[in-house]
Amino acid sequence: MSSETDKPAGHDESRRTFLKQSSLLTAFTIVPGPVLQAATYELDEKVAAAFEKVSLKLEVNGVKHKLSVEPRTTLLDLLRENLNLTGTKKGCDYGQCGACTVHVDGQRVNSCLSFAVMHEGKKITTIEGLAEGGKLHPMQEAFVKHDGFQCGYCTPGQIMSAVACVREGHAGSETEIREFMSGNICRCGAYSNIVAAIQEVKNGGQKV
Amino acid sequence: MNQFQYVRPSKPQAAIEAVTKDANATFIAGGTNLVDLMKRGIATPQKLVDINRLPLNKIEKENNGLRIGALALNSAVADDKLVRQKQPLLALALNAGASAQLRNMATVGGNMLQRTRCSYFYDLAMPCNKREPGTGCGALEGINRMHAIFGFSDKCIAVHPSDMSVALVALDATVLVSGPKGERRIPFADFHRLPGDTPEKDTNLEKGELITAVDIPDGPFTKHVHYQKVRERASYAFALLSVAAALDIENNTIKAARLAMGGVAHKPWRLTAAEQVLVGKPATEATFRQAAEVAMQGAKAFKHNAYKLKLGPNTIVQALRTAAAAA
Amino acid sequence: MKAQDKQIGAPMNRVDGRLKVTGGAKYSAEYELPNMAYAVLVGSTIAKGRLTSIDAKAAEKAPGVLAVVTHFNSPKVPGFDTAGKDPSQPATVGGPLKIFKDDKIRYNDQVIAVVVADSWERARYAARLVKAQYAQEKHKTNLEASVSDAFLPTAAKKNPKHPMNDYQRGQVDAYKTGAIKLESEYVIPTEVHHPMELQSITAHWEAPDRLTLYDKTQGTMATRRDFAKEWNLPEENVKVIATFVGGAFGNALHSWPHESAAIIAAKVVNRPVKLMLTREQMFTNVGYRPYTWQKLGMSATPDGKITAITHESIGQTSTYEEFTESTLAQTRMMYQSPNVTTRYRLASLDVCSPIWMRGPGEATGAFALESAMDEMAHMLNLDPLEFRLRNYTEQDPEKNKPWSTKFLKECYQLGAERVGWNKRQLKPGSLRDGEWLIGYGMGVGTFGAHRGAATVGAQLLPDGTVLLQCATTDIGPGTGTVMTQIAAETLGLDPKKIRFELGNSSFPKAGTQGGSSTVNSVGPATQEACLALKEKLRTLAGAAFASAKKEDVTLTDGYLTLAGNAGARVPYADLIKQGGDKAVTVEAKPGPEGQQYSMYSFSVHFAEVRVHELTGEVRVSKLVSCADAGTIVNEKTAGNQMKGGAVGGIGMALMEAAHIDDRFGRYVTKDFADYHVPVHADSPDVQVAFVNKPDPHVNNLGTKGIGEIAIIGVAPAIANAVFNATGKRIRELPITPDKLI
Repeated sequence: MSSETDKPAGHDESRRTFLKQSSLLTAFTIVPGPVLQAATYELDEKVAAAFEKVSLKLEVNGVKHKLSVEPRTTLLDLLRENLNLTGTKKGCDYGQCGACTVHVDGQRVNSCLSFAVMHEGKKITTIEGLAEGGKLHPMQEAFVKHDGFQCGYCTPGQIMSAVACVREGHAGSETEIREFMSGNICRCGAYSNIVAAIQEVKNGGQKV
Repeated sequence: MNQFQYVRPSKPQAAIEAVTKDANATFIAGGTNLVDLMKRGIATPQKLVDINRLPLNKIEKENNGLRIGALALNSAVADDKLVRQKQPLLALALNAGASAQLRNMATVGGNMLQRTRCSYFYDLAMPCNKREPGTGCGALEGINRMHAIFGFSDKCIAVHPSDMSVALVALDATVLVSGPKGERRIPFADFHRLPGDTPEKDTNLEKGELITAVDIPDGPFTKHVHYQKVRERASYAFALLSVAAALDIENNTIKAARLAMGGVAHKPWRLTAAEQVLVGKPATEATFRQAAEVAMQGAKAFKHNAYKLKLGPNTIVQALRTAAAAA
Repeated sequence: MKAQDKQIGAPMNRVDGRLKVTGGAKYSAEYELPNMAYAVLVGSTIAKGRLTSIDAKAAEKAPGVLAVVTHFNSPKVPGFDTAGKDPSQPATVGGPLKIFKDDKIRYNDQVIAVVVADSWERARYAARLVKAQYAQEKHKTNLEASVSDAFLPTAAKKNPKHPMNDYQRGQVDAYKTGAIKLESEYVIPTEVHHPMELQSITAHWEAPDRLTLYDKTQGTMATRRDFAKEWNLPEENVKVIATFVGGAFGNALHSWPHESAAIIAAKVVNRPVKLMLTREQMFTNVGYRPYTWQKLGMSATPDGKITAITHESIGQTSTYEEFTESTLAQTRMMYQSPNVTTRYRLASLDVCSPIWMRGPGEATGAFALESAMDEMAHMLNLDPLEFRLRNYTEQDPEKNKPWSTKFLKECYQLGAERVGWNKRQLKPGSLRDGEWLIGYGMGVGTFGAHRGAATVGAQLLPDGTVLLQCATTDIGPGTGTVMTQIAAETLGLDPKKIRFELGNSSFPKAGTQGGSSTVNSVGPATQEACLALKEKLRTLAGAAFASAKKEDVTLTDGYLTLAGNAGARVPYADLIKQGGDKAVTVEAKPGPEGQQYSMYSFSVHFAEVRVHELTGEVRVSKLVSCADAGTIVNEKTAGNQMKGGAVGGIGMALMEAAHIDDRFGRYVTKDFADYHVPVHADSPDVQVAFVNKPDPHVNNLGTKGIGEIAIIGVAPAIANAVFNATGKRIRELPITPDKLI
């Protein structure tokens, strides 16, 4: 490791300065006390880093989690790397493909574009939480039946989005489905089959 | 992405204070643009003030108009009965933007504050005065097919990407803002700025000012409205160019008109002169074409976006046609 | 006939469907290993020059950072010094750029450092802190500006029989003297594969000389070979696992620098390392369909007989590799023309090397050829379908051999009916629906029915199920599913009792999944392995089976049975008790048929488009794809593959283009907001029809291959339909609104 006097290049301030400044600025910070301590006592930066996490309570697929995460951790990375729920996919990381779609309190969102800490206390449903006790959700069944995928990578996002699309009442026609599913890209091009699957679920009247 | 501090105040005043006091602090709501910019190192706030839990998401009637809370989700506004009944143009514009998932995250306030999608702004290794003042405008002599034809400067030719804002400027909306110096109302047309010599500033918001709501006055534009968005694929793409059109027609005569364009300037581009051409005239193709010609006066193209000089008037005509025919 | 007899052709659901719809399918960045580290790449910000220094101090100091590896501190990769000197590996084959080996910058965003940390967040942050200094040189990234430097590929210069040499039959450039002639130039921009899964790898040195890679690759064996060579290891010390591959479309046909980087990083930190490219890096570091300029000249008689075609193309390649593809192949064999000339050239630019993208070369060439066919038909005032029929080839005019099979006329008929071709008007701009102009167009595609050697292992397990294994991969077409069907039919066993494992270099060997060749190659190996297994079991099954033919042996409900002999019924349990080996490994190879016949799959695509009269927006309202691909093993998965190719063709035709700002030599398109690929709303309900007649010469199954012909010809079908709707001929893709207003 380099000597203490070395200044990092560019616009990035040194960690310690950052910690000192930011933690002294506001009274309602969620960053815990130890960070302040680390900054004040000029502990080694790598030690200080260990404290840069905030606590987070989340319910994922019915399981309550009490976690400690960096504020910059996205919901997507939290699911994939911390909770090993890799069914939720990273296809672009910029909200431009939909592979990371999950439900937060029942609404479909791009998990790559929100920080996990912003979801304190919320209920997250991922593809792993859609089937009930080994029985596939009707949308999952329909995707298998209509071959609504090829490589399978966009599939969890398509299915989470499709379930929401039906629940929202945006699956009234083929055209409406195509419009309201356009946030989920399938590069294999299984769109016709995905639409057929959604229509079957919608028309089948099963509870989604 | 740099590490940052995260706070989540429960009162607007606390949020305003937090951002006002800290030079490197910024609000975060839906995060659909900010998180993206942070990932790419374009935005590097040291502190995020999460405003999502502030009570600013109501959609309600207010003084002969509609008041939409700044934190109302784009999807909630687009699906709202009151909005669809009183201001259907807004619902159309919202649904033309982004994807269903993004609309479930993006807020009304955040939508207005979207930054440009100019490729040069998005690449730290290329020049951009908006991102890094003084480095030059990469697009000026570069690949500029998406860029402005109105109101640009030699410092910046980027366009504002919001669809919602095009409808709001057409509908004479007002932005309600709360800041360290108290509250103020900003007419929508004055909310966004032209680039001039300071393209780094997108809006006239001051440090620490928080958008709390948008007011839209009631009007006669409940039926003959259309939002025409031209893009390179059928959905989920930023506009090459878009037009928001609202007409009040009686006995085939246009009594009132509102017209604005997106994808042509650094701000949503209201077409007041063209509106005046429309008023009092029959709702015919000839009228629409005449308005479209007036609308394009002063437009100037760059190397790759000359098509907008033709696409612009055509899209205006198409938007007006469709609005007039709407039943 | 028993149900089992009809497995081939049945629209069976995918065997891995459940895993894919539940999130249970694991892709290359999704394996949990103890002590995982995370790697992020840093790319150059210039297109050409030399690295003079890299300041990594700030990055190294950042929390959680384990290492920053650059050219200046990289451990020596032993194979870098020998690889490339191997004459069996000509430069044109490609292979990874030797990362960190020298200070040379060959393209923008070339990997100059890999940052390894204990989390993604920390690695990404630290990667931003790495600063490089360069000695910049003048770069070239524009093909149009480099046309005068275009050259014949070196491999062709050295070998007069190389297929990239100039070709001619009849007179050279005879079209120039034709009575009715055209000469048109066409441009295909750079297109990027962009599979939904970002290119990812998890590299794990299980011992100093034993490497395991969970990698996004289309070929586990090829990847194993590449990295065994890089590290001078015996191949058996390297294991490559690619059980699930999240799409590839060609970009994982060979290995790339990021894979080398992850392996070096894992060596340096002595931990398993996971690396995932960003979407920006998918433009710059894993290939693309090259920007290609083409010129096509054609002449015909007034009654619609083609008299000559000349087709020239210049494709872009990098400065360090001569990438070639079969852009001109279709022109030489598709239509009856006494005079044909083709000339293929390359232009070297300061860019990353291209890589074959779905329908490689042929899709590019077909845009020119099939557009020109439409242009000529229009000049002749002929229906484009009729024009093609008048020039139909009953045998291969290039090789002067009979086709193994060709049912393209049947495809024409099927497709024309389904799209409603009879509604098409000869005069462009004749049909409209309100503000939308309507037009119809067609485009033809073809691709060689390639077959390679493949080996499959089969064994009867104690629980009465059969396990098959092969190193082949499944990037999406449903390889495991169709192999299960082939095995089920061959064994006479319920497909539920068969497991086909793939995507592992330790399994019996197979080629890379590419060039529409997997079913052609692995299919017969599966079939023969199953026959061999039955034969082996027969020999263990006692007297009743001793003289039976293996074809009559079936495996049913826990018993080995014999057709026509109800008494011959041996429980598996008895066979298993007998001891001895119940496993076989069988290699299947193509025979001499390839010398006797020209073997191709064929397709035709019919499009109905709507073009908005004011905004120039194009919507594909109908797309019908018909294929002569031999036997269709699974109509459901095959149909899906065809639909996918059609959607890819919509992308090619209407929106896909990666643009470089030549001043900086950098892409301005760097994500899915700038580089558009089709979304749900762009796709009509694609209709697919197969002729489904077996080809008796490619293999016993009668298959010919689907993946490439699904996209080849789609883009010109759409471009031709746009012409029919508007009278505007767009010769430079994509057909965006600005070109039509």
